[in-house]
Amino acid sequence: MDTLVLWLLVLVFAGAFVAQVAARVRLIAIAPNTFEITHPATRVARVLVEVFGQRTTIRERPIAGVAHAFVFWGFIAFAPYTASEFLAGLGIVDVTDSGWFAAYRILLTPCAMAVLLGILFLLVRRTIIRPAGLGTNVSIESVVIALFITTLMATFLLTWWIDESTTAGRINWWVHVSVILGFLALIPGSKHLHLVFSPITWFLKSPTLGNLPNLDFEKEEVGLETVKDLGSKAVLDAFTCVECGRCQVNCPAWGAGKTLNPKTIILQTEEALLAGTRDRALVDLYSAQALWQCTTCGACENQCPVGVEHLPILIGARRGAVSNGHAPDYLGAMYNNLERRSNIWGLSYGEREKFVETAGLETFDPAKHDVLIWLGCAGAFDADYQKSMRSLFEILRAREVRFGVLSKERCTGDAARRTGNEYVYQELATANIETLTAAGPKTIVTSCPHCVKTIGDDYRTFGYRVEIVHSSVYIAGMLNELQPDETAPASTVTYHDPCYLGRYGGTVDEPRALLARMNAQVNDPVRSRDNPSCCGAGGGLLFADKEEEPGTRISDMRLTELQKTGASTVVTACPFCSIMLKGAQASRQADVHVVDLMTFVNGRVRKL
Amino acid sequence: MHIAVCVKQVPTRDWQPRLNDSGTWIRDEDASFEMNEPDAYALEAALRLKEQHGGDVTVCSAGPARVTQVLREALARGADRALHVQDDRFASADVYGIADALAAAIRDEPFDLVLTGLQSDDLGAAATGVVIAERLNRPHATIVMDVQVDGGTLRVKRELESGWFQWVSMPLPAVVTIQSGINQLRYATLKGIMAAKKKEIRTVTPAAAIDARQQIARLYAPEKGKKTHLISGSPAEAAKELVRRLREEARVIA
Ligand code: SF4
Ligand code: SF4
Repeated sequence: MDTLVLWLLVLVFAGAFVAQVAARVRLIAIAPNTFEITHPATRVARVLVEVFGQRTTIRERPIAGVAHAFVFWGFIAFAPYTASEFLAGLGIVDVTDSGWFAAYRILLTPCAMAVLLGILFLLVRRTIIRPAGLGTNVSIESVVIALFITTLMATFLLTWWIDESTTAGRINWWVHVSVILGFLALIPGSKHLHLVFSPITWFLKSPTLGNLPNLDFEKEEVGLETVKDLGSKAVLDAFTCVECGRCQVNCPAWGAGKTLNPKTIILQTEEALLAGTRDRALVDLYSAQALWQCTTCGACENQCPVGVEHLPILIGARRGAVSNGHAPDYLGAMYNNLERRSNIWGLSYGEREKFVETAGLETFDPAKHDVLIWLGCAGAFDADYQKSMRSLFEILRAREVRFGVLSKERCTGDAARRTGNEYVYQELATANIETLTAAGPKTIVTSCPHCVKTIGDDYRTFGYRVEIVHSSVYIAGMLNELQPDETAPASTVTYHDPCYLGRYGGTVDEPRALLARMNAQVNDPVRSRDNPSCCGAGGGLLFADKEEEPGTRISDMRLTELQKTGASTVVTACPFCSIMLKGAQASRQADVHVVDLMTFVNGRVRKL
Repeated sequence: MHIAVCVKQVPTRDWQPRLNDSGTWIRDEDASFEMNEPDAYALEAALRLKEQHGGDVTVCSAGPARVTQVLREALARGADRALHVQDDRFASADVYGIADALAAAIRDEPFDLVLTGLQSDDLGAAATGVVIAERLNRPHATIVMDVQVDGGTLRVKRELESGWFQWVSMPLPAVVTIQSGINQLRYATLKGIMAAKKKEIRTVTPAAAIDARQQIARLYAPEKGKKTHLISGSPAEAAKELVRRLREEARVIA
């Protein structure tokens, strides 16, 4: 009798589970295919570390993360137990009387206690502590799931005291089994679907941060315009999100009180997909305001515990908007600058030539020079950043590094790419690749982390491969040849990791090593190294009108964080961070000095 | 409303002009080219009028084959079709040669309004628009900052000297030359670029003879020179002498 009832229940509940999952899998299957499986070894390793090791889950929120890890590991430990119970209950095979099963049950007991501890903590956190990232409403469904898990563990532990053959024992058994079945039915419609999808999502997440597909103009690809254009990975992401809000609390736009919230973007995507509004324009779904507030800092993607990629969605939707002429005015002006003058500021090329001449730079020749210096728009045209470039040249010359520059260099197209103007980006990229290939450098050194990312990662997808390093990395490679000038006063500085250097590039130790070498004591601010908070310049926002920025200015927020370290000097290593932080400093006459790394080092190194 | 916009292709500002062997023209085979910037503002004004009143925009240019580059660009930004008066001699033709050719090409089409930039970035004669108006026998206005169309009447705001403006009305059809910087230029969208490939560029051949009114005897590049004068004497005397020279020789102060 029991067996028959269980069979019926399993068929109904497992059927409900399969039907609901299948509906989502179908939506993934009909989406344009964006699944990539390059670098399989890296991907598998990451699944192990992230899913089974729970790395990001714990790193971002150690206490809640460990609690979650207990529950997760407990789940894995319990899987064979649950399977055995069902196999026995369904009358297929009964191993529950075997000796090893008894031993297994003993081993499971501490696991059950760990899960109980973990889930009760998470329940308290969700209902009583309620951190901001989880939203304002207590999710009823999460509470139900937590109670389910509690019941599962309690009913397991009770088996030590209640004999299974008694009536109480049968009731206990049925409660245990029913809760598992209920769980099964609840999973697909809830954020707990991540139990099924997150290993796949992690496997499919790009190994490089901010990876974007190149648009193929021959195929008339224009970016993401409506819900049905969202790629299969984006759809999978939407169904995997656990609504934890790690992306939200790390997002500079959300932190500064703007419209954009990366978690909302993912939830809106899920909602639209399930509602079947496939022709809904993405600019309307996400709101144009939110779409243009993203600095492409990558914090959301990097802190997400289940492998969601926000940037391909945000930038994809920007592409769709830009292709239809809906870019904000400040970007339209910048695009015209790039088209007509090949630099973001629209300055005449003669300005760069003047700098090249006055700085005594030679045209790169692989026979004569060790490295090619890539100036970048800021290094070539911005009077303030030119000073930092001159510092770099001085350091290199004093150590007899032979270097040259290109006779014609265009913007790498970073600002065009991250804001969704793929046409201008590809025009610039193609022209630059042609010039670079002809010049034939083996190593490129630049002070712009955005240029490192664009030439190093994005140009690679067009088949151009070169070693490109940030100046901090190159100079740190000569650490032994740099002696500090002992007369320079000791100082305490703080270092602002540029997003494109620390988070995208993983370059966090070299700048600090240089500072330490120059006898500077480095106080890290909150949010540093590979999870810095953004200066507010990326994603084309350098060009937006700061006076009209809604909410707090992101650059202001960051400067405040940096000032809280007590350091009187802020060192950074990106031209855009430099412009933003100097702007924030000047606008409120902050009692702090912002300086670029190369200038700082050159000012303190003993002159040879 | 049918609008024509006359645009010119000029060497990019980044190009350092070099003279040809006879010294009568630039070596334009070395140059890179772009749309004359004032004409880009005329195009933008035309596209905005089209958005307001409907109709179409035809972009016209007289020049050698390379001119299709700027015509394509205009089509990508939203012009509906292009008219190319093609002849190599236009590369160095004077105002009359160009204006005659453009006027002849657009005379038979029913344009309500002809727009062009105030002047060109290369020769800077600021006369092509006016000559076209004369050839077509249409009213015209120059250095225009704002264009308003109400039925068959055109109202424009002209820039005068010293911050003064003038509003003028005239009947359509008319010819207007647009001041630079009056609007923000739109960028070329991917969709626009794709659509431009399918738009028509009609090539017309000009009259056999080009009526040139100018002969270029010789071109000269401005000579750059630095001269340093050290003014001697006591500080007070030197300062006085400096002021005198700034006023009388350099004429930078009044
Ligand atoms: S990339 Fe940065 S700014 Fe953009 S949504 Fe993610 S966290 Fe926010
Ligand atoms: S996208 Fe990732 S980080 Fe953001 S709420 Fe969802 S699971 Fe959390």
